[in-house]
Amino acid sequence: MTSTRNATLFALALLAPALLYIIGIVAYPLVDTINLSFTNAALKKTYEFVGWANYEKIFKNNFNEVIVRTFVWTFFSVSIKMVVGTFGAVLLNAAVPGRALFRILTMPPWVVPMAIGIFMWGWMYNGQFGMISGLLQNFGIVDGPIAWLAYGNTAFWATIVTDVWIGVPLVTIYLLAAMQSIPRDLYEAAWTDGAGRFYRFRRITFPMIIPALVTMSLLSLIATFNSFDIIWILTRGGPSGSTTTMIIDTYKTAIGSYKYGEGAARAVMICIFLSLFCLAYFRVVGKINTGEKA
Amino acid sequence: MSQLSLKHLEKSFGDTQIIKGIDLEVSQGEFVVFVGPSGCGKSTLLRMIAGLEDITSGDIVIGDKVVNDLPPVKRGIAMVFQSYALYPHMTVFENIAFPLRVERLPNDQVKERVGRAAKVLQLDARLEQRPGTLSGGQRQRVAIGRAIVRQPQIFLFDEPLSNLDAALRSEMRIELMELHKKLGSTMIYVTHDQVEAMTMADKIVVMNAGLIEQIGSPLELYHKPDNKFVASFIGSPKMNFIQGNATTSDGTNVTIDLGALGTIALPRATKRVAGDTVTLGIRPEHLVLGKSDFTLTVTPKIVEHLGIHTVLYADLPGGETFIALFEGDPKIEEGAPLEIGFKLSSAHLFDTAGLAVY
Repeated sequence: MTSTRNATLFALALLAPALLYIIGIVAYPLVDTINLSFTNAALKKTYEFVGWANYEKIFKNNFNEVIVRTFVWTFFSVSIKMVVGTFGAVLLNAAVPGRALFRILTMPPWVVPMAIGIFMWGWMYNGQFGMISGLLQNFGIVDGPIAWLAYGNTAFWATIVTDVWIGVPLVTIYLLAAMQSIPRDLYEAAWTDGAGRFYRFRRITFPMIIPALVTMSLLSLIATFNSFDIIWILTRGGPSGSTTTMIIDTYKTAIGSYKYGEGAARAVMICIFLSLFCLAYFRVVGKINTGEKA
Repeated sequence: MSQLSLKHLEKSFGDTQIIKGIDLEVSQGEFVVFVGPSGCGKSTLLRMIAGLEDITSGDIVIGDKVVNDLPPVKRGIAMVFQSYALYPHMTVFENIAFPLRVERLPNDQVKERVGRAAKVLQLDARLEQRPGTLSGGQRQRVAIGRAIVRQPQIFLFDEPLSNLDAALRSEMRIELMELHKKLGSTMIYVTHDQVEAMTMADKIVVMNAGLIEQIGSPLELYHKPDNKFVASFIGSPKMNFIQGNATTSDGTNVTIDLGALGTIALPRATKRVAGDTVTLGIRPEHLVLGKSDFTLTVTPKIVEHLGIHTVLYADLPGGETFIALFEGDPKIEEGAPLEIGFKLSSAHLFDTAGLAVY
C-alpha cells in the first residue's frame, strides 16, 4: 500500500511543474474568461453575475455579421495561401538552374519582423504616396490616386493580400518538403511509361501531398482565424467595421471599450470555434498517421 | 537478327567518364545479364538504354531504329526498378494499369490487359489492395505487371531482387526465368550477384570500370575466362591465384616456378610468356584431397562444414589466402597439414597483364 502511494506521490511530483504551468497559463485564464463572460464586469469596482445576458446581447447586435465576415476573410486568405503556396512549391521543386537562390528568395516575408512588413504594406496601400496606386496611375490603369485602406471593399481584400504575403512562405516550404519526400523513382517510372509533366503532377505529386495539404490548411486556418496584428496595424478593423473580425471585435469591446464581461463572451465564442478546428486537425493527423502505418 | 545494338556507347558526368565505349548485340528473346562490381557502370548503361540518361556519344539501335534522342516511351522498352517504384496511393490494379491510363486506352481494354498480367503473376486476388499491404515478392510482381501490360520489345530490370531476402530471391529468380520462357521477350537484367547472373542468363556481360571485360554464356565465362578479373568475379568461392615466374615457354609447355610450392609445367601452345611474371589460377572446387597432377601441402586455418561441402581456408607461403572446396564431409582438421592437388587441365594461366593464356 505504502509503496503504491509513494509511487503515486512521486509521479505527481514529477508532473507538478508541467501541471502548474498548464494551470497558470491555460486553465486559470480560460476558466476565469468563461466566468467573466457571465458577468457585467467593466471599469467599475464590483460586478454581478448576469447569466446569458452577454451572449444574448452579442447575438442581438452585429456579432453574427462579424462571425460571417471572419469566416469569409479566413476562407479566402487560407485558400489563396494554399493555392499560391502549392504553385510556388511546384516551381521550387522543378529541376531548374538557380533553384537554391529562388528558395532563399521566398523567405523574406517570413523573416522580416511582422509589424515592419505590415507597416510597409500600409505605405504601399497609401493613396498619396503608395507604390500600388502610383504604379497603376503610371500605367494609366486608374485615373486618380486610390487609398486602398479607405474603402470597406478594398480594405477587406488589402488585409487578405498582406496576410497571404506573410503566410505563403511557410506553406510553400512545408509543401516543398512534402514534394521532396516523394521518391524520384516514381517519376522516372512514370516518365518511362510516357506520362508528361502535368500528368505526373495530377496522378503522383498531388495525391501524395494531400495529407500535407490538409494538415497545412488546418494549421493555417487556426492561425489565420486568430490573425490580429495585420488587421489592427493596417485598418484597426475599419473603415466602418469592414475588416472587423472576431478577434478584432473582441479586443475593441474588452480593451477598447472596457466591457470585460461582453469581451469575455466574445472570446469564449472564438475559443469554441478554434477548439472545433483543433479537433478536426487532430482527427486528420491521427487518420494520416494510422494510414501511414497500414 | 539483333534486336538491340549498342555501338561504341560512352557516357560522362562532367569530366568523369562512366561508360567508356561499349559495343553489344542482343538477339530477340535473349536473357542478357549485366554483371559487375558496384560502380562499374552497369546500372548507368541500363538507364541509357531506357532513355533515363542521355548518352555522350555512340548509338543505341532498337529494332532498326536509332533511339538516342527518343523518350523512353517511344523506345519499346519497359523498366522494372530496384525499389519497384510503385505508387503507394494507388491500388495494385491502378499501379499495373498506369501505362495504359497514360495511353488513354478504353476502360474495357485496360481491364482485360491488367487482368491477363495479374493472372500470369498470380496477383488476381490482390488487385484492390494497396502496395503497402503487400509482401516484398508481391510488390516485385506488381512492378513486373506494370512492365508486362505495355507489351514491350525489351524488358529492362535494374537489380530487381536485391531488396528481397535470400529465400525469396531464389524463388523470384525461378519465377522470372519462367516468365521469360512464357513471354519469350528480350530481357536485360542488371545485378551485382554472380549467382543470379549464372543461373538466369543466356548471355552474361561482365563489366568493370565502364568497360566490358567479357561477353559469353555462363559456362563459357566459368571455363574460359578471358582475364583474371572475369576469372575472379565468376565462381563462388573465388578462384585461387598463385604468382610465379614463367621460366620456359617453348610452344608446347609453359614451366612456372612457384617458389616454395615447386615447379609446374602447363601445356600451352605459346612462346610469349617466357621470363614473365605470370599467375596460376585454380578454382577451389577443382582441388582434390591427396595427390594429383600437381600437389601442394597446406595447413588449414579455418574449416567450414556445410554438409554438402567442406570449405578449407589456408595461407600460402606467398601470403595469399587459398580456398579449397571438397564434396561431402571429409575428415579435415584445422592446423594439421595435408596434401591437396589438382589436374593440370583444370588450371588457368594469366600473363603479366592479367590476360588468359590458352
